[in-house]
Amino acid sequence: MAESMKIAGYSAVALTLPTGLLQDRVVFIRHIFTSAGIETVLRTDLAPTSRTELLRLLRRYRSLCDVVAVKCTNEATARVACRDRRVDVVFFDPRNHKVRFNHSLAGLLRGAVEFNLIAALQGQTNSNFISRTSKEMGISSEHKNRVVLSSGCTSPEMTRAPSQIAAIADALGLSLEQSRLGVSKVPEGIILRNLDRRSREYIEEGVKVILSKAR
Amino acid sequence: MTVTRRYFLVKIVPQQPVSEEQFGRALTDSVRRYFGEIGLCRIDPRLIRFDEKESRAVVSCRKEGAGEMEAAIGLISDVSGLAIAPITLKMSGTIKGLGRRH
Repeated sequence: MAESMKIAGYSAVALTLPTGLLQDRVVFIRHIFTSAGIETVLRTDLAPTSRTELLRLLRRYRSLCDVVAVKCTNEATARVACRDRRVDVVFFDPRNHKVRFNHSLAGLLRGAVEFNLIAALQGQTNSNFISRTSKEMGISSEHKNRVVLSSGCTSPEMTRAPSQIAAIADALGLSLEQSRLGVSKVPEGIILRNLDRRSREYIEEGVKVILSKAR
Repeated sequence: MTVTRRYFLVKIVPQQPVSEEQFGRALTDSVRRYFGEIGLCRIDPRLIRFDEKESRAVVSCRKEGAGEMEAAIGLISDVSGLAIAPITLKMSGTIKGLGRRH
């Protein structure tokens, strides 16, 4: 997998690992990617069923992971996830008809919305999925939301180059500029901001410790 | 009128015993499936070269359909039942240009 990611031209990947995984195992998996020349960041995908569960999970996992993504399973959690600034990325299951990315959620969104293209498109290319994704991309363009395009790959056969993912999003209706930003600047910005937040010098937004060089 | 074309260098990952004919058919099917018959004529995909040992291919299309061609390559998930990942390594205006870095 690390090899195919390297061929595809990735310089950093966000690894979604089970939260209960032993630390040694996490270090080993990260080492595989690092030895292939790919930087890794830890990502957690939260799938809460209620607002209170989401808030509890955020309190628990925000400080442990570099990127926090929330899978919106219903309207109530989607509203809180879109509004909460601790959430970096929200995403929607295309097979879940209870909730979808609409104008009101787009207006509330503080983080970024993620479209998981490859995992969703492979094997089940129905017109409903394409029209839904296309519509959601149109909404995010209209509200100028930050968009993250993810390969969502779980095996080497699902790896695609960033330019291919951007081209698929472009074909689905996202502007070419937004598609390119979605595989480069936007995810990079999220990672850099969170690494900065987790550094020892960080106090709060806009405040950080700067050591005097004169001493 | 001269038709300007774009060329893609595609690497198939992981290395699978895929023939030139199979890959060519998968390419045309993918373009037809996602962009239709009119899209197929507009994009005009062609398999120029195929190296079975290296699992590399050179694919061309019309300049106007380069983005759609790249999307169609990315949407190929299997060839004759074998799961593959065709990764676009480079796009160029000439075949010679593809060999400059890879």
